[in-house]
Amino acid sequence: MYLRIFCGVLCGAAGLVLAGCGGSAGPPATNSRTLIYSRGTDADTLDPLDTSLGETVAVLVNLYDTLVTYDDRTLDLVPSLAESWEMGDEGRTWTFRLRPGVLFHDGTTLDAEAVVFNFRRLLEDDFPHGYGAQRPYLPNFEMIESVEAVGPLEVRFRLKAPSAVFLNNLAMFPASIVSPSAVRTHQEALGVNPAGTGPFRLDAWERDQRIVLRAFDDHWRGRPQLDRVIFIPVAENSIRAQQLVRGEAHITDNLPPAELDALEGQSGLVIQEQQGLNVGYLTMQMERPPLDHLKVRLAIWHAIDKQRLIDVAYSGHGQTSVSLVPPAMWGHAEGLQDRQYDPQRSRELLAEVAAERNLTLPLRMNLFFMEQPRPYMQQPRQIAVFLRDALQQVGIEVKLVPNDYRQHFQRLSAGEHDLGLAGWTTDNVDPDNFLFSLLDKSNINDHGGNNLSRYASEEVHQLLLEAQRETDRGRREQLYRQAQQRIFDDAPIVPLVHTDVRIAQRAEVQGYYLHPSSLVRLRQASIGSGTR
Amino acid sequence: MIGFLARRLLLSLLTLLVAVSLVFVAVRLLPNNPVLARFGQHAVPDRVADEMHKQGWDQPVLVQLGRFLRQVLTSGDLGKSFIRPTESVAQGLSRKLPATIELALAALLVAVPLGIAAGSAAAVWRNGWPDLICMSGSLLGVSVPVFFLGICLMSVFSQMPTGLRLPATADFQSRTGFVVVETLLAGRLDLFLAALKHLCLPALALSSIPMAIIARVTRNSMLQALAADYIRTARAKGGSRWGVVLGHALPNAAVEVSNIAGFQAGMLLSGAVLTETVFSWPGMGRYLVEGVKDSDYAVVQGGALVVAAMFIGLNLLLDLLHAWLDPRIRLLHSSS
Repeated sequence: MYLRIFCGVLCGAAGLVLAGCGGSAGPPATNSRTLIYSRGTDADTLDPLDTSLGETVAVLVNLYDTLVTYDDRTLDLVPSLAESWEMGDEGRTWTFRLRPGVLFHDGTTLDAEAVVFNFRRLLEDDFPHGYGAQRPYLPNFEMIESVEAVGPLEVRFRLKAPSAVFLNNLAMFPASIVSPSAVRTHQEALGVNPAGTGPFRLDAWERDQRIVLRAFDDHWRGRPQLDRVIFIPVAENSIRAQQLVRGEAHITDNLPPAELDALEGQSGLVIQEQQGLNVGYLTMQMERPPLDHLKVRLAIWHAIDKQRLIDVAYSGHGQTSVSLVPPAMWGHAEGLQDRQYDPQRSRELLAEVAAERNLTLPLRMNLFFMEQPRPYMQQPRQIAVFLRDALQQVGIEVKLVPNDYRQHFQRLSAGEHDLGLAGWTTDNVDPDNFLFSLLDKSNINDHGGNNLSRYASEEVHQLLLEAQRETDRGRREQLYRQAQQRIFDDAPIVPLVHTDVRIAQRAEVQGYYLHPSSLVRLRQASIGSGTR
Repeated sequence: MIGFLARRLLLSLLTLLVAVSLVFVAVRLLPNNPVLARFGQHAVPDRVADEMHKQGWDQPVLVQLGRFLRQVLTSGDLGKSFIRPTESVAQGLSRKLPATIELALAALLVAVPLGIAAGSAAAVWRNGWPDLICMSGSLLGVSVPVFFLGICLMSVFSQMPTGLRLPATADFQSRTGFVVVETLLAGRLDLFLAALKHLCLPALALSSIPMAIIARVTRNSMLQALAADYIRTARAKGGSRWGVVLGHALPNAAVEVSNIAGFQAGMLLSGAVLTETVFSWPGMGRYLVEGVKDSDYAVVQGGALVVAAMFIGLNLLLDLLHAWLDPRIRLLHSSS
């Protein structure tokens, strides 16, 4: 009797629990003009001078405008807050004419003084309205000597020397124009009270839950199609994929290849793909023997079957890389022929070095890799294992060293590695951003230097400096070609892959185009009717 | 009793101080630089040392610890996150803690009654099939990793919403972070049910281990209690089987069960890292783990202080509860 009662109670309790879990939640009743964008983490701040986080940038580009920007479809620079501009004094001065009548979200008007205020905030260490912003992108703007208002709507930049990347850098998010009045009013709290001129304004930010943007009716390009954009942070990739299928989110990014492949072809979902402006590479620490020997580095290069690596670790969504500059970008070394995958040649090279330096084979090296996916390396562990196996075949015993990605780059900067996985995504769509940042000798530094191979070529340094000063595109291409040839010959790194950027979205999302720069620009996006 | 209370309180404060100091020192021993952790490949090498100096992180650890303790004791200020510059640690904790408390309470609401029921049944029908089922279940509950259970639950109940605490489009902004309670108090039944649905799978996954442990402890305690002379006496006086079990055996087994349930509650309240990670639940556990990975010193030391205080406070409460449940503990301390 009691046993039956007990069983009844237990079944009832279990039934209640399952009833709570059961049943379809179904898509939430949403306004059809609200778009939900799901990504891996929340923003850190909405002050464009205080961040380098990709998830933050996705919000910033919808809140703020820059003086110049990219065309809606291409990487060409087009006017934005500046209607026109002219260069003078052989590239040392740039005068921008601002668009009249542009309003900030706080109701103030854009003028030349506002632009000067923003650039002083970016450039000057002791500017009274800096409010502790860390300005990680300051080096990209250090060519600017001064900024002045030469009329109510006219701003003049004077550069220390002619700079080919200056205009490109003005399209970067740290050059976003913020309302000076909002900066003065909110001070340190600007990061949660942003006021730009962008197509959306901040409506609410519930930390780790959602950032709600609302259409800015007075945007100078006209009101965006959507009423609201909601950014939600969801760390787990599988949950983001499920949310998309259930209709709880419209767009999600940074899914690993396996998740994207599983979503591809499902009804109601669309995958957008672009050639990425990024590179994933293997850095070889040239100060650590035997990697100081060119033949060892070439042996490693010949040992890697890059196409097979892309098939294995990227589901085929990428292109093999021969140089840091991606083929989708100008300045890519067109004629550069990659070295063949040739393990026999690797073995011969290693044998020669072993004889020359009295080394015993197999050589022993460590390979540092990051534990978390990066946009240019979505499955770093698989890549590291692939490389270990490839190198083992030719006579190099590799010990894998995993690191949290935050520590990974610190350790690579400090030169603790023999081999290391690394990569880069462009900031300003200029070859300089790859070549100078990653391989110039001035960027060797234990505390955050990005020349991880410690490649100290004077010839490359001079070529890159000259290309920075040169304003003629044709001449710059020539200089970058020379630099890339030199780098290819010296082989301080093995360029592995240019990863395709892929996002998954619901079919009802219209007008959202995955821009080649990967910037999340939602001004023209809308939600189709009758599909939910 | 007052002497007992004072002694326990003093010991608790000492434990808190030691725990916070240990965490404070440990996080600084990690080979990680907060400035490089935040800006990664975009850190400006020349400015890293300047920032370390500005934040006082280049000073001896004991000096930093002294300054932190003084700051906490004089102003109650836990500092500001470096990784999230617009958020103080107090603000961060005030959002994370309610999420963890709701999740932990929901898990306990499932774990405690079911665990006690299963344990009692296993004891009453010792070696019978309820015993076999309950104990096999509890063995499974303890053995299956939470992340695996979480993934299984998400696959089986794939239509259940996860990843947030309310639907993204909900026209409701929580003030305290206690979303379930707030939606109920606001009379928003639709959102209350939605919040429960979002809570359901993480709570179920999280409840598995405490439920299993409670069931096993209950079974053991109940077996001891059921074998005692007073139970035989009660039965001999004509008490019904369940009357004796519920009226005499269970209360006597309760000290041990409440002890373990309290301990489990402490564990859950300090953040369930795995469950929070699998379900992307924005709670304390993930907050602290991310803080450690980022070397976000203020978050780690502030979080450690609060978690340790909660854990120690809960243990203190349990001691008092024991003294109340078991007169022998009171007598022992008053006589000594």
